[in-house]
Amino acid sequence: MQAKTTILSLPTEEFVHPGTRACTGCGLAIAYRVGLKALGKDTILVVPPSCLTVLQGLFPIASTKLACLNVTFASTAAAASGILATLKVQGKDNIKVAAWAGDGGTSDIGLQALSGAAERGENFIYLCYDNEGYMNTGAQRSGTTPIGAVTANTPFKGKLQQKKDVPAIMAAHNLSYVAECSAAYPLDLFDKIRKCIDMPGTKYFHIHTPCPPGWGYDPRYGIKIGRLAVETGYYDLYEIVNGEFKLTAASEKLVEKRKLIPVREYFRSQSRFRILTDAQIAVIQNQIDAKWANYYKKDE
Amino acid sequence: MCWLFCPDVVISRTIPPKIDLEYCKGCGICAEECPTKAITMVDEAGFSEEDKDKE
Amino acid sequence: MHIIENGNVAAALGVKLCHANVIAAYPITPQTPLTEKLSEYVEAGEMKAEYIPVESEHSALAVCIAASSAGARSFTATSANGLLYMHEQVHWAAGARLPIVMCVVNRAVGAPWNVWNDQQDSISQRDTGWIQMYCCDHQQIIDSVIKAYWLAEKVSIPIMVCYDGYILSHTYMPFDVPDQEKVDAFLPPFRPDYALNTEEPANLNTVTLPDVRMDIKGEIAHGYMEIRYLLHEEMRTALTVAAEAEKRFADIFGRGGDPYVEPYLCDDAEYVAVGLGSLTYQLRVAIDTLRKEGIRVGVMGVRFYRPFPDVAVANALKGKKGVIVYEKALSYGYEGALASDLKSALYEHLAGTGTLPFVQNFIAGIGGRDIRTDDLTQSLRAATKSRVSKEPVWIGLKL
Repeated sequence: MQAKTTILSLPTEEFVHPGTRACTGCGLAIAYRVGLKALGKDTILVVPPSCLTVLQGLFPIASTKLACLNVTFASTAAAASGILATLKVQGKDNIKVAAWAGDGGTSDIGLQALSGAAERGENFIYLCYDNEGYMNTGAQRSGTTPIGAVTANTPFKGKLQQKKDVPAIMAAHNLSYVAECSAAYPLDLFDKIRKCIDMPGTKYFHIHTPCPPGWGYDPRYGIKIGRLAVETGYYDLYEIVNGEFKLTAASEKLVEKRKLIPVREYFRSQSRFRILTDAQIAVIQNQIDAKWANYYKKDE
Repeated sequence: MCWLFCPDVVISRTIPPKIDLEYCKGCGICAEECPTKAITMVDEAGFSEEDKDKE
Repeated sequence: MHIIENGNVAAALGVKLCHANVIAAYPITPQTPLTEKLSEYVEAGEMKAEYIPVESEHSALAVCIAASSAGARSFTATSANGLLYMHEQVHWAAGARLPIVMCVVNRAVGAPWNVWNDQQDSISQRDTGWIQMYCCDHQQIIDSVIKAYWLAEKVSIPIMVCYDGYILSHTYMPFDVPDQEKVDAFLPPFRPDYALNTEEPANLNTVTLPDVRMDIKGEIAHGYMEIRYLLHEEMRTALTVAAEAEKRFADIFGRGGDPYVEPYLCDDAEYVAVGLGSLTYQLRVAIDTLRKEGIRVGVMGVRFYRPFPDVAVANALKGKKGVIVYEKALSYGYEGALASDLKSALYEHLAGTGTLPFVQNFIAGIGGRDIRTDDLTQSLRAATKSRVSKEPVWIGLKL
């Protein structure tokens, strides 16, 4: 079993230059930076339109040091498949392909191509950074926006539908590895990428990514809010290895601790949840409690 | 911690950390996450050349 | 080696001879047998290629774009709504300057559903920046695929090789399959100026500003407008390179002709029928009938639709009394696209010279409506008496 990476053992080589076009306090910037450390320089990236496209910069200057192909919105996983095919005919089996897409580009418009690639067993890692909306275009709702969130096109009533559970959809493809991570726990993300990188087929990562302008908070609290999501039991860090589910890192510790921070603290930390009533929060709290009761039971 | 969580890769992995203020966007995550509260955010308007990172 | 096979097999053989090494496939009538044939070659080990059965046409072209960006010689094929589904990618491939070759087996577009032949699918992609070649028989299909790879890789522009669904794709004809050694002599391996790799990483197709911008070396890099201008400019240059392709092909394989137009009895003709694809061969029967009646008429197939060979076409039609354009597609709300482009070329090159022919536009075969040779003869005969109408006239309509 691999030892957990610590802040001291995390590789120091950087694959992103300072001066990206990301917003102040961008959660993606943290996840991306650490994710690239895990992937290393022998990686070709595939990026659809998203915050990452902007982060990487404007022609002719790029902030990423790795090779990257920008592609159309719906085609991320298909493009990754195309690069893989070429690497195969060229005999370059040491080069990895990593797709980085937002939640809109994954759960909505990109889902078809992703499902197709996963079904074909395409050997690449797909990382969805979930800032819970189409943040790049001004924070419109996406399939993974949580219920009750105010967005640019759910301005008064908030999103009426539940958050789409994309990792569950991907797990149904019988993948060797599916993981839920968070930008607030970059070392967990690093370890998971390193763990699965040589596993066969498509590896799917879903990374909870705090977004200051989209979620409505002072940028300095980004990591705190990311942690709150996990410590309230609202969002779980886990991995599914060949179909076997396991909580990891801080979420795993919560099973021992048996104490969750009330989820209201998470909701009250961001202005996008301002219209959630106490009654609605209570419903969500019950759902969380039920979910964790199950986790506690499995642990016994 | 500050080195790990900086979204813009502008903090060095040293003690004391050095911050490249040319590229720092002032998000304040480093100040918030520092366990010893060694970093203070200062409004750029009131910024003078001597006000670097305080230890 | 001469064989008798259908048009889809002719195309597949062309792709095999060209050693395409990444193939994306999605089924759609009437293209499906083409990519099925390719799967047979790949699984039997006759082609060393990665064959990716994608989950949509949009993904098919996405695979080709990514593969080509990384240095592979890629191929896909489609028809009608499949082509329309990948339309976003069609623009993308051209803007990204990738030498992808794609066969379009021409079929009518929905709504409503129709699987039979017309050319609305490829004609509607006219403005995307792809080179378009139209084939009249199976020999032209296999030869065009081979020429297309050479041309595409020379000018870094993707090429659609178009041929009529069912009429060519599913019918059987004798044709020559070129020797592999000769194809290898004609078409060297794909060596792009830059292929995505980790030794010299680059960020491809990123956001490009309206204006030019300085790079890290202090040099001014092109803005979007310059990049797009070069696509257009190099498409125009491709006309000359196409002639080079035709000559090289003729030198090695012993067959070829005019790269831009395929005339039949046009030299002394007073009236010339014009079209794209197999219809022009059917028109030859009408020509022969009318010639017996003493009418001096000929037919000319246009081989490249884009870039439009305006000079060649205008020269071929100079001094003619009338040009009768038969089309299996149109720009709704106006007229046939080929007719418009022809009129514009004639105006551009012949206006004021006193030799401007009239242009009569006939629309036929939409949705695979049977085109009776009799109707072609009658309409052509009528047009040689006087121009029938300024508006396009639909042949075979049963209102």
